[in-house]
Amino acid sequence: MRKFTFILLTVAMCWFAAYAAHAAELSVPANNIAGAGFTVNTSGTGSATFFLIGPGTVLRREVTLGGPITIAGDEARTAGRYVAILLSGGESSGKELFVSPAKPAELVFLARPSRVATAQKDAISGVAFVFDEFKNLVLAPAPVKFELSVEGHAPVARTVTSREGIAWMHMDSTHNQGPAQFVASLPGASGAEASVRRVVQQVAAEACNLHMKASPAGKSVVVETDPVKDCSGNPVPDGTIVTFTETDSSGRSTVDARIKKDVARAELPLSPGATVTVASGVVLGNEIQLGGAR
Amino acid sequence: MRRLQVLMMVTVFMCVTNWLSLRVRASQPAGIQVEMATANAGPREVEDTTQTAIIRDYSAAWKAMEASLDSNQDDGLGAAFTGNALQQIHERMVQQKKAGLHTRFVDRGHKLDAVFYSPEGSAMQLHDTAQLEIETLDGERVLHSENATLHYVTLMTVAEDRWKVRQLQGASSF
Repeated sequence: MRKFTFILLTVAMCWFAAYAAHAAELSVPANNIAGAGFTVNTSGTGSATFFLIGPGTVLRREVTLGGPITIAGDEARTAGRYVAILLSGGESSGKELFVSPAKPAELVFLARPSRVATAQKDAISGVAFVFDEFKNLVLAPAPVKFELSVEGHAPVARTVTSREGIAWMHMDSTHNQGPAQFVASLPGASGAEASVRRVVQQVAAEACNLHMKASPAGKSVVVETDPVKDCSGNPVPDGTIVTFTETDSSGRSTVDARIKKDVARAELPLSPGATVTVASGVVLGNEIQLGGAR
Repeated sequence: MRRLQVLMMVTVFMCVTNWLSLRVRASQPAGIQVEMATANAGPREVEDTTQTAIIRDYSAAWKAMEASLDSNQDDGLGAAFTGNALQQIHERMVQQKKAGLHTRFVDRGHKLDAVFYSPEGSAMQLHDTAQLEIETLDGERVLHSENATLHYVTLMTVAEDRWKVRQLQGASSF
């Protein structure tokens, strides 16, 4: 009889423990958006301590079981994994929930390079990171518009859909030199950080169709280029080196001249029959034979 | 009877020392195991030296975060985290302290998959599948304990002489 009572008591205790454990249960919502807040439901009676632990949030709150626990928008602004814990009568139970980022609102924009030659293929790269207003990376696809423009010329635009918060593209530099405005923006978003501007300085590329003429000046000859321009017609910047080389029977002499007001100029010794060549960087120009041009 | 007492004492001693050693290991995590795959990275190919640096710096970042969230004191977070990630961990530490809680991790390792490496080589996005044992403690009482496989979307950027974690965002899956 004693044994029977003992077994009965044990079973009753286990049943009560199971009931008590079951009594304080949490029910968490499946879909939650950052900054929107949510409600956690509890079952059971009496009081308990509720904890919410997230990436940038830790809450501790005394609650009454059986009622809802309201989490304000400010208390769950960070996207990621949260754990809700209920502590009641020395027993705790926990459940995980996920908070998703809110809608796209901000961009972080990396543009490279800061200075580039005109008309270069895939020379400019832009990477945009899409965030919501709480700085969570928006993992859902979102359109990002990239636009490159030089004042007075039509912009070049391209829209790229972000993948896990990142949109990136390569773009040719345009044909016109000057400060190019490189803008990444979120269509439909209106905040100050929904559109980010960077400046890419576009400069003339290598000289194109380099041409010089020569004119005698006493015992020397003056060689002067036509205005030096790149293949898009942009003047090559002043200060760029142009090399004149004179070759005759006694050897070779070289003069490096800087472009000044679009032209480069140098004075070479007059040596009948000598050949003069002109070059700028890797670009070769025409050749003149003194005493007769070629 | 005496033998039994000795045997019990030895057993208790072993249990206590084992428990203590586990506590020490948990509170001072050694090098965290990180594996990294780069086959899915683009548009730029991940250089070997970059891969080595990412593994080293990501491991150091988790070590710093786990130590900081256990002690509620900044344990070298600034050297491993920057931007939003750093701010979030600081906020969590402050709030943990206020609530009288701390978090203890046993880190079973991370599998990283590089999914984006920026054209100029200054930013990388990674998927991290982490195996973690996490204990949430109220003082010394364990409130919640779990053994979980967690997913993180991570952004790392070059800063000074190393890669730093700029975004560490939990996700339900990839």
